[in-house]
Amino acid sequence: MTLAIETKDLRYRAGRSFEVSQLDMHVPRKSVYGFLGPNGSGKTTTMRLLLGLLRAHGGRITVLGEEMPESHTSVLVKTGYVPERPHVYPSLTVSEAIAFHRAFYPTWDQQWADDLQRQFTLEADRRISTLSKGESGKLLMLLALAQRPELLVLDEPTDGLDPVVRRDILAAVLEYVTDCEATVLISSHLVHELERICDWVGVMDKGRLVAEMPMQDFKSGMKRLRVSDAPVAVASAPFTVLSRERGNGTVEHWLVRGWAPPMQGYFESVGASLREVVDLDLEEGFVEMLRASRERES
Amino acid sequence: MFRAIVWMQWKSTRALSLLTTIIAFALPLASLQLGRSAASASGFVAAMQAFGAAYALLAALVGLLVALGAWRPDHSGRHVYALSLPVPRSRYAMFRFGAGLLFLVPTIAALLVGALLVSVSPIPEGLHAFPVALTLRFALASLVAYAIFFAIASSTNRTAGLIIAIFAGIIFSQYLLAVFADGERTVDVLGAVLDFVFVRPGILSVFAGRWMLIDA
Repeated sequence: MTLAIETKDLRYRAGRSFEVSQLDMHVPRKSVYGFLGPNGSGKTTTMRLLLGLLRAHGGRITVLGEEMPESHTSVLVKTGYVPERPHVYPSLTVSEAIAFHRAFYPTWDQQWADDLQRQFTLEADRRISTLSKGESGKLLMLLALAQRPELLVLDEPTDGLDPVVRRDILAAVLEYVTDCEATVLISSHLVHELERICDWVGVMDKGRLVAEMPMQDFKSGMKRLRVSDAPVAVASAPFTVLSRERGNGTVEHWLVRGWAPPMQGYFESVGASLREVVDLDLEEGFVEMLRASRERES
Repeated sequence: MFRAIVWMQWKSTRALSLLTTIIAFALPLASLQLGRSAASASGFVAAMQAFGAAYALLAALVGLLVALGAWRPDHSGRHVYALSLPVPRSRYAMFRFGAGLLFLVPTIAALLVGALLVSVSPIPEGLHAFPVALTLRFALASLVAYAIFFAIASSTNRTAGLIIAIFAGIIFSQYLLAVFADGERTVDVLGAVLDFVFVRPGILSVFAGRWMLIDA
């Protein structure tokens, strides 16, 4: 598996209360990597670190095979970036913003930019300061896509948008990824949105990457188990126990990752019995994972 | 890229650039008008001298406005867009600086035209016009002002605030010295600083001295 983005022990601190620490991230090439996490968990900061917009205090970043931030020019020319908030100059019109942006990207596809402009119904003469949130989002996506990037970094690109605009934007991204086999790193706290489009997922909380796995594993391997006569130690379990909670009597509720049905035999081997296996949807899994991570930390 | 930045900067600077261009053209003509109302050659020179400070102030103002215009679009977006563009930061800053230099040209050219018009007008005998020298000095002064304000404007609000605070601190300390020291032993901090920047070869010495379009 070749990686489009890799970080090793990435560290960054802003002020006294916020830090990104020991971040080891692996985004496979040609994948759509969903970057999940609650607000303020460090997703935006991490993305800015990856693109060289912020300078890390330690660790190593490799993007598209090149070291960052040393190679930021050659990486950024192959990267489409949609930030959390619109960043293009508000005094420009739509067509002026496109013309300005085009000047910096040798791979710019004007034909496709025109197509997207029509598809997104963006009026060429409208000033950016007068665009609605949805229209701004579409323009940013147009700018990111029409440069034909190898990597798309999308920071909550659909946050606050209505479902129609959200669908338009995600459809354009998926179409591009299918056609060009690009890599996408997309952050969101809308779990269901990522569930549909991502094949990898990373979960961030309080500046740490608490989990990173294929989406399929995340969806199918996260279970809540009802166990009676549970053993004190679970070191030999063939799955990862994220949290344990006492229930009624001798029953415990376990949140586990990496579960598969043949692992039931483990409980008999340790003198326990498995009463029930409960499937979690992605959002439940996400919430439980965060809860377990915070409990471990505290 | 440079063309795109020039064009972008033109959008944010053009109104102010037009205003300073008109003022620069009008200043020499206004000084001539005032000079003509004087009864003697010495009165004419005094009128010219009265306008000297206006040239220096205009040069500083042009430098300030063009420098602010150069960075205003990026400041408004907290530099995220500029930083995400695939161009080395040093080159981006040079492009911004170079584009700003272009917008000094209309004002300087307008001053030259105005000054040349004055120089071909009848002036009292024994006096000489120095339109090119005045324009060159104006160009140098506006370039110095632009470079300084460009550097300050490119920095964060904190750094710009620190620079302003240092100047305010110097003025305030001078005030305290004047209030609390006895008259004979007052330390002239402000004077020393002003000497350092304005008296040759101070960095702002081009602004000091007489700015004369017509002189003996």
